[in-house]
Amino acid sequence: MIAAAPPPVSEVRFLPRADLDRLIDALADDGRTVIGPTVADGAIVLDEVRSVADLPVGWAAESKPGGYRLSRRSDARAFDHAVGPTSWKRWTFPPRAPMASRVEAAQSLAFLGVRACEIAALLTQDRVLQGGPAVDADYRVRRASALVVAVECATALETCFCTSMGTGPEVTSGYDIALTELDDGFVVRAGSPAGEAIVGRLDLPQANVGQRVAAADTLRRTRERIGNPVPTEGLAARIVAAAESPRWAEIAERCLACANCTLVCPTCFCTSVGTKSDLDGGNATSERTWDSCFTFDFARVAGGNFRPRTRDRYRQWLTHKFGTWWDHFGSSGCVGCGRCIAWCPVGIDIRAELMAVAPPPLSETVLVASVAPAPSTAPDPSTALDPSAAPAPSAFPASETLPERYVDVVVTSTRRETADTVSLRLATDDPALLACRPGQFVMVARPAFATPPISVSRVHQDGLTLTIRAAGPATTALTRLERGAVMSVRGPLGRGWPVEAAVGRDVVVVTGGIGLAPLRPLLDAFLAERERFGRIRLAYGARTPADRLFVDELDALARDGRIEVESTVDRAGQEWLGRVGVVTQLIDADACSGRESVAFVCGPERMMAATADVLAECGIPPERVFVTLERHMECGVGLCGHCQLGRFFVCRDGPVFSLAELGPALRVEGL
Amino acid sequence: MVDVAARSPARPAAVHRPRVGVVKFASCDGCQLTLLDLEDELLAVTERFEIVEFAEATSNRSSGPFDVLFVEGSISTPEQAEEIVHLREASTLLVTIGACATAGGIQALRNLGDHDAFRAAVYPHPEYVSSLATSLPVSEYVKVDAELRGCPIDPGQLLEVLTALATGRRPQLPNEAVCLECKRRGAVCVVVAKGLPCLGPVTRTGCGALCPAFGRGCYGCFGPRESANAAGLASHYLRAGDRAEEVGRRFAGFTVNQEPFRSVVVAMDRLHGAHGTREGDAR
Repeated sequence: MIAAAPPPVSEVRFLPRADLDRLIDALADDGRTVIGPTVADGAIVLDEVRSVADLPVGWAAESKPGGYRLSRRSDARAFDHAVGPTSWKRWTFPPRAPMASRVEAAQSLAFLGVRACEIAALLTQDRVLQGGPAVDADYRVRRASALVVAVECATALETCFCTSMGTGPEVTSGYDIALTELDDGFVVRAGSPAGEAIVGRLDLPQANVGQRVAAADTLRRTRERIGNPVPTEGLAARIVAAAESPRWAEIAERCLACANCTLVCPTCFCTSVGTKSDLDGGNATSERTWDSCFTFDFARVAGGNFRPRTRDRYRQWLTHKFGTWWDHFGSSGCVGCGRCIAWCPVGIDIRAELMAVAPPPLSETVLVASVAPAPSTAPDPSTALDPSAAPAPSAFPASETLPERYVDVVVTSTRRETADTVSLRLATDDPALLACRPGQFVMVARPAFATPPISVSRVHQDGLTLTIRAAGPATTALTRLERGAVMSVRGPLGRGWPVEAAVGRDVVVVTGGIGLAPLRPLLDAFLAERERFGRIRLAYGARTPADRLFVDELDALARDGRIEVESTVDRAGQEWLGRVGVVTQLIDADACSGRESVAFVCGPERMMAATADVLAECGIPPERVFVTLERHMECGVGLCGHCQLGRFFVCRDGPVFSLAELGPALRVEGL
Repeated sequence: MVDVAARSPARPAAVHRPRVGVVKFASCDGCQLTLLDLEDELLAVTERFEIVEFAEATSNRSSGPFDVLFVEGSISTPEQAEEIVHLREASTLLVTIGACATAGGIQALRNLGDHDAFRAAVYPHPEYVSSLATSLPVSEYVKVDAELRGCPIDPGQLLEVLTALATGRRPQLPNEAVCLECKRRGAVCVVVAKGLPCLGPVTRTGCGALCPAFGRGCYGCFGPRESANAAGLASHYLRAGDRAEEVGRRFAGFTVNQEPFRSVVVAMDRLHGAHGTREGDAR
């Protein structure tokens, strides 16, 4: 698929305009459905094309922020229109895909008229969806089925900026066949054996010198026309550092959060899964649909929303696209196609917003007006990230298992812990589930309900315990399950608590309410090898005495003395003889031996931030304070996009992080 | 009259069929007919639910009690304001259906005008007409358990509510913009490609992006979506040179009474009054 170098001159051929149908026929004869540009509803869209008659011959397109118009042209060119609203992901990553029959769905396709920026977009989605660690099998099959017939851009729209992103206009790799359109025909080169086979069947003459020069001139003019509208040197670092810019609120006054930019973007990959059933709950089917970080529900969890404001959502989109995409996938998420500019209904121009939010150093602004070659978009590794978030993820073990299948488990007993919280004991002999490490989680599916992530609160020899608080419809339904109920779980997922980091050290565990559940397996691990750890203290806060989990166990532990347990509640009646107040009051210099201690924290983020302050005062370095985060999760393996927190996918890179890794991410509102 | 309830086959006695009623206030009946339009699912619905009150479908009548009551129409007269309270008391769950019941409907335009003047203009003897000065959604009078938006409602969303009722879960009714569905179905944006005004970006999804897919702008019949930046859209229209009067009129449709649409209508009206039509005409 990849052509490292231009083909020798002898292999550059010429396809007379009158013979273009022969190419389309050859693609069809290869058993492929040909997808290409065609005119519909006032735009050049991508759809099935059967002959040249379907192509936008004689049409030209113009764009501006928030505007796109077609016009007639005097010549017969078929591809001289740059990009329209459709992108190829509609076929590689369709807007709706049933979960049940996803992998079989491969019809052989040929993409006719793929631009350089769009090849870059396909390669970008390759890194996201099949670059690992988890792979979207549906995407892989669809993508592999598509032959790429590229077209060099002979024109550019006003909204194009591929030159700045280093993705075009020249087609240099990722194609099977590349065409350069001239007045009387096409200069043709093959970029892969599959492409060569098709071109070979056409039996074309070699392109002459004049045709080759005309092709090169075409590209040179296009590059000059685009210029370099976005200085990208250091852009990734600049935009990540601009998290608190006042510009985000200003953009949010104009931005409608309508999600059009993300849906026309050829690299945006965020999805959600919806479930339908018949009236009796049977025949439940799930469907994956395109979603967007601009919707309210995207970052919502039962009981809260991590990005409630439009400014939070716009910042997430732009920062991910140009900044944290590098951390996630090793490239920019933007290919400079300009669709988000043209197809924004209120004409917000990200080129201008980038320059306003994250302006380049003064010396670079000169480049804006010049036609200098595109600078490398790769950020300097030393400045790519917010310097205050510098430490790389530490070496504590990430999830080795990436199960994408659900396992049916049976509820063998239930236990009501508090008024709204129930523990479900599940039986399974699935080796992966039984190998669950402290702090990992599972996705829990019941027909017709959303699929929430649930922390494992104990691992047994023959199963798991999940402790679930009735926070939303799905979790409420789970707390109502009875013995014998069957549910499907997927996991274990994520990176758990680094037990080894505590070996030989004093341990402080700080938690509140339901937060004790994901910490219980950690306490179990400590108790299993008690002698390997120093003093262990558990500080546990709850709203009221009745909101405490695992009370009998905690009392037993406190009596036993192997773990020192201190509890506090926010409010209590006469019956409570213990402490009243917030959990941070339980931590002081006496509670830990400062630099030699390691701390594990789980609770609401505001509580964890307050605890982090107290632990810092006690002298525990941020590298040894570990927290676990909650986010909206759907896939659990870093493919759906929901759980992003700055440079992390919480599901895949976490949910457990050290404070040093998180840096300011824990405290930036709406990140 | 077709008695759909009578047509349903005999059922095992063990299965409890929730008693369902369908009633209406100030409205056109179109939303209730959506239930009858569920042709493929209608038999299953009548097997699963006992329809005891539905004047459009059965001459069997009931005044309750109802396990689930679907209410169409806005509260527009003093009698309706009393009756909805009784119906609420007779119902375990109350679901409002359609733009009239959930937003006040097109008739809520009178909320922004002079009720007495309208009455005098329309009726020779307005003293015989007993109506309220406002047309309001049912939720302004009684607690509502779920709302189905739209003019008319979407059959798929109605089926989703019925399924949720039957299976005991909360209905999944997305509150995102129409634009997402428009893009998923591959429709070309009428704003960008044709310069048409469209309320899709600020309107709640649920219709399947019906109007934009047929080449016309969304007129907001599902009402505002979550965090609808209606002021931002109106400002954009004004910047683009549209007159305040026409901008206001775009938001003054079937869901005019819902914020933030109502505020935009009021603001545009004020702007129009302040500057008059002359300035607008000059643009």
